[in-house]
Amino acid sequence: MNVTVYSTPTCPYCDMAKKFLDDNNVTYTSYDVSTDQAKAEEMVQKSGQMGVPVIVVEKDGSEEVIVGFDQGKLTSLLGL
Amino acid sequence: MTTQGVYDIVIIGGGPGGVAAGVYAARKQMKAVIITDRFGGQSTVSASIENWIGEVSIKGTELAEKLEKHIRAQEGDIEIMHPHRAEGVVANDDGTFAVTIDDGTVYTTKIVLVVTGGRHRHLNVPGEEKFKGRGVVYCSTCDAPMFRDKDTAVVGAGNSGLEAVEDLLPWAKHITLISNNDKITGDPVTFERIMASGKVDVLYNALTTEIIGDMMVTGLKYKDSVTGEEKELATQGVFVEIGVVPNTEIVKDLVATDDYGHIIVDYKNGATSVPGIFAAGDVTQQIYRQNNIAAGDAIKATLAAYDMVRTQ
Repeated sequence: MNVTVYSTPTCPYCDMAKKFLDDNNVTYTSYDVSTDQAKAEEMVQKSGQMGVPVIVVEKDGSEEVIVGFDQGKLTSLLGL
Repeated sequence: MTTQGVYDIVIIGGGPGGVAAGVYAARKQMKAVIITDRFGGQSTVSASIENWIGEVSIKGTELAEKLEKHIRAQEGDIEIMHPHRAEGVVANDDGTFAVTIDDGTVYTTKIVLVVTGGRHRHLNVPGEEKFKGRGVVYCSTCDAPMFRDKDTAVVGAGNSGLEAVEDLLPWAKHITLISNNDKITGDPVTFERIMASGKVDVLYNALTTEIIGDMMVTGLKYKDSVTGEEKELATQGVFVEIGVVPNTEIVKDLVATDDYGHIIVDYKNGATSVPGIFAAGDVTQQIYRQNNIAAGDAIKATLAAYDMVRTQ
Protein backbone atom coordinates (compact mmCIF):
# COMPACT_ATOMS: atom_id res chain seq x y z
CA MET A 1 0.00 0.00 0.00
CA ASN A 2 1.24 3.46 -0.95
CA VAL A 3 -0.12 6.63 0.55
CA THR A 4 0.53 10.04 -1.00
CA VAL A 5 -0.43 13.39 0.50
CA TYR A 6 -0.58 16.53 -1.65
CA SER A 7 -0.64 19.60 0.56
CA THR A 8 0.29 23.24 1.06
CA PRO A 9 2.27 24.49 4.08
CA THR A 10 -0.50 26.88 5.15
CA CYS A 11 -3.37 24.40 5.11
CA PRO A 12 -4.59 23.33 8.56
CA TYR A 13 -6.52 20.33 7.27
CA CYS A 14 -3.33 19.12 5.59
CA ASP A 15 -1.53 19.29 8.95
CA MET A 16 -4.39 17.43 10.60
CA ALA A 17 -4.40 14.75 7.93
CA LYS A 18 -0.64 14.20 8.23
CA LYS A 19 -0.82 14.14 12.00
CA PHE A 20 -3.59 11.56 11.80
CA LEU A 21 -1.42 9.40 9.53
CA ASP A 22 1.60 9.88 11.82
CA ASP A 23 -0.42 9.00 14.91
CA ASN A 24 -1.53 5.80 13.22
CA ASN A 25 2.00 4.91 12.05
CA VAL A 26 1.06 5.17 8.39
CA THR A 27 4.05 6.02 6.20
CA TYR A 28 3.31 8.32 3.29
CA THR A 29 4.97 10.47 0.65
CA SER A 30 4.22 14.16 1.02
CA TYR A 31 4.33 16.73 -1.77
CA ASP A 32 4.18 20.48 -1.24
CA VAL A 33 2.12 21.60 -4.22
CA SER A 34 2.82 25.27 -3.49
CA THR A 35 6.42 24.75 -4.64
CA ASP A 36 6.23 21.63 -6.78
CA GLN A 37 4.37 22.64 -9.94
CA ALA A 38 4.58 19.19 -11.53
CA LYS A 39 3.03 17.56 -8.46
CA ALA A 40 0.39 20.28 -8.34
CA GLU A 41 -0.62 19.36 -11.88
CA GLU A 42 -0.55 15.66 -11.01
CA MET A 43 -2.83 16.35 -8.05
CA VAL A 44 -5.31 18.26 -10.23
CA GLN A 45 -5.21 15.51 -12.83
CA LYS A 46 -5.80 12.73 -10.24
CA SER A 47 -8.50 14.51 -8.25
CA GLY A 48 -10.09 16.66 -10.96
CA GLN A 49 -9.90 19.67 -8.66
CA MET A 50 -7.48 22.07 -7.00
CA GLY A 51 -8.35 21.93 -3.29
CA VAL A 52 -5.91 20.52 -0.74
CA PRO A 53 -5.29 18.16 0.91
CA VAL A 54 -5.59 15.36 -1.61
CA ILE A 55 -4.72 11.92 -0.29
CA VAL A 56 -4.14 9.06 -2.69
CA VAL A 57 -4.22 5.51 -1.35
CA GLU A 58 -2.82 2.94 -3.76
CA LYS A 59 -3.84 -0.56 -2.77
CA ASP A 60 -3.94 -3.81 -4.74
CA GLY A 61 -3.20 -1.98 -7.97
CA SER A 62 -6.04 0.48 -7.71
CA GLU A 63 -6.05 4.08 -6.57
CA GLU A 64 -8.50 5.77 -4.24
CA VAL A 65 -8.45 9.56 -4.21
CA ILE A 66 -9.70 11.41 -1.15
CA VAL A 67 -10.27 15.14 -1.37
CA GLY A 68 -10.04 16.90 1.99
CA PHE A 69 -9.32 15.41 5.40
CA ASP A 70 -12.07 12.81 5.65
CA GLN A 71 -11.06 10.86 8.74
CA GLY A 72 -13.86 8.33 8.44
CA LYS A 73 -13.00 7.47 4.85
CA LEU A 74 -9.27 7.32 5.59
CA THR A 75 -9.87 5.03 8.57
CA SER A 76 -11.85 2.55 6.52
CA LEU A 77 -9.55 2.71 3.45
CA LEU A 78 -6.44 2.15 5.55
CA GLY A 79 -8.10 -0.48 7.70
CA LEU A 80 -7.26 1.35 10.93
CA MET B 1 -29.56 -0.14 16.01
CA THR B 2 -30.97 1.41 19.16
CA THR B 3 -28.63 1.89 22.08
CA GLN B 4 -29.27 0.63 25.58
CA GLY B 5 -31.16 2.85 27.98
CA VAL B 6 -32.14 6.49 27.82
CA TYR B 7 -29.36 9.07 27.68
CA ASP B 8 -29.50 12.22 29.75
CA ILE B 9 -27.88 14.31 27.04
CA VAL B 10 -26.78 13.96 23.44
CA ILE B 11 -24.33 16.70 22.42
CA ILE B 12 -24.18 17.36 18.68
CA GLY B 13 -21.00 19.18 17.65
CA GLY B 14 -17.29 19.15 18.49
CA GLY B 15 -16.30 22.81 18.49
CA PRO B 16 -15.46 24.72 21.68
CA GLY B 17 -19.15 24.64 22.64
CA GLY B 18 -19.56 20.89 22.20
CA VAL B 19 -16.35 20.05 24.02
CA ALA B 20 -17.11 22.40 26.92
CA ALA B 21 -20.57 20.85 27.23
CA GLY B 22 -19.09 17.36 27.08
CA VAL B 23 -16.59 18.04 29.86
CA TYR B 24 -19.32 19.44 32.11
CA ALA B 25 -21.79 16.65 31.31
CA ALA B 26 -19.13 14.05 32.11
CA ARG B 27 -18.20 15.71 35.38
CA LYS B 28 -21.87 15.87 36.35
CA GLN B 29 -21.97 12.14 35.60
CA MET B 30 -24.80 12.53 33.16
CA LYS B 31 -25.30 9.60 30.79
CA ALA B 32 -23.88 11.46 27.86
CA VAL B 33 -22.61 11.10 24.32
CA ILE B 34 -20.93 13.66 22.06
CA ILE B 35 -21.26 13.24 18.30
CA THR B 36 -18.93 15.04 15.93
CA ASP B 37 -17.14 14.44 12.66
CA ARG B 38 -14.33 16.79 13.70
CA PHE B 39 -13.05 18.50 16.81
CA GLY B 40 -12.07 22.15 16.89
CA GLY B 41 -14.85 24.11 15.23
CA GLN B 42 -14.56 26.85 12.66
CA SER B 43 -11.39 28.44 14.00
CA THR B 44 -9.42 25.27 13.27
CA VAL B 45 -8.37 26.99 10.03
CA SER B 46 -7.02 30.07 11.83
CA ALA B 47 -3.27 30.53 11.60
CA SER B 48 -3.27 32.13 15.01
CA ILE B 49 -5.95 32.65 17.66
CA GLU B 50 -5.06 35.36 20.13
CA ASN B 51 -8.23 35.65 22.16
CA TRP B 52 -8.80 32.15 23.52
CA ILE B 53 -8.52 32.94 27.18
CA GLY B 54 -5.55 31.27 28.85
CA GLU B 55 -3.55 31.09 25.62
CA VAL B 56 -1.64 34.17 24.45
CA SER B 57 -1.53 32.74 20.95
CA ILE B 58 -2.46 29.34 19.61
CA LYS B 59 -2.78 27.82 16.14
CA GLY B 60 -6.29 26.73 15.20
CA THR B 61 -5.14 23.13 14.73
CA GLU B 62 -3.46 23.16 18.15
CA LEU B 63 -6.62 24.43 19.80
CA ALA B 64 -8.51 21.64 18.04
CA GLU B 65 -6.04 19.09 19.44
CA LYS B 66 -6.30 20.50 22.93
CA LEU B 67 -10.08 20.43 22.82
CA GLU B 68 -10.04 16.81 21.70
CA LYS B 69 -7.51 15.93 24.41
CA HIS B 70 -9.68 17.55 27.07
CA ILE B 71 -12.80 15.62 26.10
CA ARG B 72 -10.81 12.38 25.68
CA ALA B 73 -9.66 12.79 29.28
CA GLN B 74 -13.32 12.42 30.28
CA GLU B 75 -13.88 9.32 28.14
CA GLY B 76 -15.59 6.69 30.25
CA ASP B 77 -17.78 9.36 31.80
CA ILE B 78 -18.90 10.36 28.33
CA GLU B 79 -19.14 8.38 25.11
CA ILE B 80 -17.32 9.93 22.17
CA MET B 81 -18.71 9.19 18.73
CA HIS B 82 -16.00 10.53 16.42
CA PRO B 83 -15.74 10.77 13.48
CA HIS B 84 -19.51 10.55 13.18
CA ARG B 85 -22.27 12.79 12.02
CA ALA B 86 -25.72 13.19 13.56
CA GLU B 87 -28.30 12.87 10.81
CA GLY B 88 -31.70 13.32 12.40
CA VAL B 89 -33.52 14.34 15.56
CA VAL B 90 -37.09 13.20 16.17
CA ALA B 91 -39.31 14.14 19.13
CA ASN B 92 -40.84 11.03 20.68
CA ASP B 93 -44.36 11.01 22.20
CA ASP B 94 -43.02 10.51 25.73
CA GLY B 95 -40.97 13.72 25.69
CA THR B 96 -37.67 12.04 24.85
CA PHE B 97 -35.83 12.45 21.55
CA ALA B 98 -34.32 9.99 19.09
CA VAL B 99 -31.01 11.07 17.57
CA THR B 100 -29.86 9.01 14.58
CA ILE B 101 -26.22 9.06 13.47
CA ASP B 102 -24.50 8.12 10.22
CA ASP B 103 -23.85 4.47 11.13
CA GLY B 104 -27.54 3.96 11.88
CA THR B 105 -27.25 4.02 15.66
CA VAL B 106 -30.23 5.65 17.38
CA TYR B 107 -29.78 7.35 20.74
CA THR B 108 -32.84 7.91 22.92
CA THR B 109 -32.26 10.93 25.12
CA LYS B 110 -33.92 13.34 27.50
CA ILE B 111 -31.89 16.31 26.29
CA VAL B 112 -30.42 17.30 22.93
CA LEU B 113 -27.78 20.03 22.93
CA VAL B 114 -27.26 21.52 19.48
CA VAL B 115 -23.77 23.03 19.19
CA THR B 116 -23.32 22.55 15.47
CA GLY B 117 -21.83 25.98 14.74
CA GLY B 118 -21.81 27.52 11.29
CA ARG B 119 -20.27 27.08 7.89
CA HIS B 120 -19.24 29.21 4.96
CA ARG B 121 -22.11 31.01 3.33
CA HIS B 122 -22.30 30.14 -0.36
CA LEU B 123 -23.22 32.55 -3.13
CA ASN B 124 -25.95 30.20 -4.35
CA VAL B 125 -25.42 31.19 -7.95
CA PRO B 126 -25.21 28.98 -11.04
CA GLY B 127 -21.79 27.38 -11.49
CA GLU B 128 -20.74 27.67 -7.86
CA GLU B 129 -21.35 24.05 -6.93
CA LYS B 130 -20.04 22.77 -10.28
CA PHE B 131 -16.72 24.60 -9.87
CA LYS B 132 -16.21 23.98 -6.16
CA GLY B 133 -12.54 22.98 -5.88
CA ARG B 134 -12.13 23.85 -9.56
CA GLY B 135 -11.49 27.49 -8.95
CA VAL B 136 -14.22 28.15 -6.38
CA VAL B 137 -12.53 28.20 -2.97
CA TYR B 138 -13.86 28.38 0.58
CA CYS B 139 -10.56 27.89 2.47
CA SER B 140 -8.23 30.64 1.30
CA THR B 141 -5.41 29.72 3.66
CA CYS B 142 -5.49 26.15 2.30
CA ASP B 143 -5.78 26.75 -1.40
CA ALA B 144 -4.25 30.18 -2.12
CA PRO B 145 -0.88 28.61 -3.13
CA MET B 146 -2.65 26.82 -5.98
CA PHE B 147 -3.23 30.19 -7.65
CA ARG B 148 0.37 31.08 -8.39
CA ASP B 149 0.55 33.71 -11.18
CA LYS B 150 -3.20 33.53 -11.72
CA ASP B 151 -5.93 36.13 -11.87
CA THR B 152 -8.19 35.74 -8.88
CA ALA B 153 -11.27 37.30 -7.32
CA VAL B 154 -12.39 37.48 -3.71
CA VAL B 155 -16.11 37.91 -3.17
CA GLY B 156 -16.84 39.68 0.11
CA ALA B 157 -15.23 42.77 1.61
CA GLY B 158 -15.49 42.01 5.31
CA ASN B 159 -12.53 40.89 7.40
CA SER B 160 -12.56 37.35 6.08
CA GLY B 161 -12.57 38.69 2.50
CA LEU B 162 -9.59 40.92 3.25
CA GLU B 163 -7.79 38.01 4.90
CA ALA B 164 -8.37 35.91 1.77
CA VAL B 165 -6.75 38.70 -0.25
CA GLU B 166 -3.79 38.63 2.15
CA ASP B 167 -3.53 34.86 1.72
CA LEU B 168 -3.45 35.34 -2.05
CA LEU B 169 -0.94 38.21 -2.19
CA PRO B 170 2.22 36.06 -2.15
CA TRP B 171 0.90 33.87 -4.98
CA ALA B 172 -1.65 35.43 -7.29
CA LYS B 173 -0.81 37.69 -10.21
CA HIS B 174 -3.79 39.91 -9.55
CA ILE B 175 -6.72 40.00 -7.14
CA THR B 176 -10.10 41.64 -7.69
CA LEU B 177 -11.87 42.31 -4.41
CA ILE B 178 -15.62 42.35 -4.92
CA SER B 179 -17.95 44.27 -2.61
CA ASN B 180 -21.69 44.00 -3.10
CA ASN B 181 -22.15 47.60 -1.92
CA ASP B 182 -20.11 50.80 -1.90
CA LYS B 183 -18.13 49.92 1.24
CA ILE B 184 -15.30 47.85 2.59
CA THR B 185 -16.53 46.52 5.92
CA GLY B 186 -13.26 44.87 6.96
CA ASP B 187 -10.60 46.65 9.03
CA PRO B 188 -9.26 49.81 7.32
CA VAL B 189 -5.70 48.93 8.39
CA THR B 190 -5.84 45.60 6.55
CA PHE B 191 -7.48 47.23 3.54
CA GLU B 192 -4.71 49.85 3.29
CA ARG B 193 -2.08 47.14 3.57
CA ILE B 194 -3.51 45.06 0.73
CA MET B 195 -4.06 48.09 -1.51
CA ALA B 196 -0.43 49.11 -1.00
CA SER B 197 0.60 45.85 -2.67
CA GLY B 198 -0.39 47.22 -6.08
CA LYS B 199 -1.91 43.84 -6.98
CA VAL B 200 -5.47 44.52 -5.88
CA ASP B 201 -8.40 46.25 -7.56
CA VAL B 202 -11.80 46.73 -5.97
CA LEU B 203 -15.15 46.30 -7.68
CA TYR B 204 -17.87 48.07 -5.73
CA ASN B 205 -21.63 47.49 -6.03
CA ALA B 206 -21.04 44.22 -7.83
CA LEU B 207 -23.49 41.38 -7.29
CA THR B 208 -22.00 38.08 -8.40
CA THR B 209 -24.59 36.27 -10.51
CA GLU B 210 -22.78 33.30 -12.05
CA ILE B 211 -19.49 31.43 -12.06
CA ILE B 212 -18.42 30.36 -15.53
CA GLY B 213 -15.80 28.01 -16.95
CA ASP B 214 -15.24 24.72 -18.74
CA MET B 215 -13.15 22.24 -16.73
CA MET B 216 -11.98 24.97 -14.35
CA VAL B 217 -13.25 28.47 -13.59
CA THR B 218 -12.57 31.03 -16.31
CA GLY B 219 -14.61 33.93 -14.97
CA LEU B 220 -17.62 35.26 -13.20
CA LYS B 221 -20.63 37.32 -14.17
CA TYR B 222 -21.84 40.18 -12.04
CA LYS B 223 -24.43 42.88 -12.06
CA ASP B 224 -23.52 46.46 -11.31
CA SER B 225 -26.21 47.37 -8.79
CA VAL B 226 -25.96 51.09 -9.60
CA THR B 227 -26.20 50.96 -13.38
CA GLY B 228 -27.96 47.60 -13.62
CA GLU B 229 -25.39 46.53 -16.21
CA GLU B 230 -24.41 42.86 -16.51
CA LYS B 231 -20.67 42.42 -16.78
CA GLU B 232 -18.07 39.69 -16.89
CA LEU B 233 -14.75 39.39 -15.10
CA ALA B 234 -12.10 36.97 -16.33
CA THR B 235 -10.66 35.10 -13.35
CA GLN B 236 -9.29 31.65 -12.58
CA GLY B 237 -10.15 31.70 -8.90
CA VAL B 238 -13.25 32.77 -7.00
CA PHE B 239 -12.70 32.93 -3.24
CA VAL B 240 -16.05 33.15 -1.48
CA GLU B 241 -15.95 34.99 1.84
CA ILE B 242 -19.46 36.29 2.46
CA GLY B 243 -20.06 35.19 6.01
CA VAL B 244 -21.39 32.18 7.83
CA VAL B 245 -24.68 30.28 7.92
CA PRO B 246 -25.82 28.34 10.99
CA ASN B 247 -25.87 24.54 10.79
CA THR B 248 -29.49 24.13 11.87
CA GLU B 249 -30.61 21.50 9.36
CA ILE B 250 -30.78 18.72 11.92
CA VAL B 251 -33.43 20.45 14.07
CA LYS B 252 -34.92 22.99 11.67
CA ASP B 253 -38.32 21.33 11.62
CA LEU B 254 -38.45 21.15 15.41
CA VAL B 255 -37.24 24.41 16.95
CA ALA B 256 -38.04 28.05 16.27
CA THR B 257 -35.46 30.03 14.29
CA ASP B 258 -35.14 33.73 13.49
CA ASP B 259 -35.21 35.36 10.04
CA TYR B 260 -31.58 34.42 9.45
CA GLY B 261 -32.08 30.79 10.42
CA HIS B 262 -30.40 31.04 13.80
CA ILE B 263 -31.97 29.05 16.63
CA ILE B 264 -33.88 31.25 19.06
CA VAL B 265 -32.70 30.59 22.62
CA ASP B 266 -33.36 31.89 26.10
CA TYR B 267 -30.18 33.81 26.98
CA LYS B 268 -30.38 32.58 30.58
CA ASN B 269 -30.07 28.88 29.82
CA GLY B 270 -29.89 28.12 26.10
CA ALA B 271 -33.40 26.63 26.04
CA THR B 272 -35.03 26.53 22.59
CA SER B 273 -38.75 26.61 21.79
CA VAL B 274 -38.89 22.85 22.44
CA PRO B 275 -38.46 21.74 26.07
CA GLY B 276 -35.49 19.37 26.19
CA ILE B 277 -33.69 20.82 23.17
CA PHE B 278 -30.97 23.30 24.05
CA ALA B 279 -28.60 25.18 21.75
CA ALA B 280 -25.46 27.28 22.12
CA GLY B 281 -22.77 29.01 20.10
CA ASP B 282 -22.85 30.12 16.47
CA VAL B 283 -25.92 28.08 15.63
CA THR B 284 -27.97 30.36 17.90
CA GLN B 285 -29.08 33.97 17.46
CA GLN B 286 -26.47 35.11 19.98
CA ILE B 287 -24.69 37.98 18.24
CA TYR B 288 -20.96 37.60 18.96
CA ARG B 289 -19.49 34.58 17.22
CA GLN B 290 -16.62 33.73 19.50
CA ASN B 291 -15.01 30.54 20.79
CA ASN B 292 -15.15 31.70 24.39
CA ILE B 293 -18.81 32.60 24.13
CA ALA B 294 -19.70 29.30 22.49
CA ALA B 295 -17.95 27.48 25.35
CA GLY B 296 -19.61 29.59 28.05
CA ASP B 297 -23.08 29.39 26.54
CA ALA B 298 -22.77 25.64 26.03
CA ILE B 299 -21.75 25.19 29.67
CA LYS B 300 -24.72 27.27 30.76
CA ALA B 301 -27.02 25.10 28.65
CA THR B 302 -25.46 21.89 30.00
CA LEU B 303 -25.94 22.98 33.61
CA ALA B 304 -29.55 23.94 32.84
CA ALA B 305 -30.02 20.56 31.19
CA TYR B 306 -28.53 18.87 34.24
CA ASP B 307 -30.97 20.69 36.51
CA MET B 308 -33.85 19.70 34.24
CA VAL B 309 -32.88 16.02 34.22
CA ARG B 310 -32.26 15.93 37.96
CA THR B 311 -35.62 17.44 38.86
CA GLN B 312 -37.66 15.33 36.44
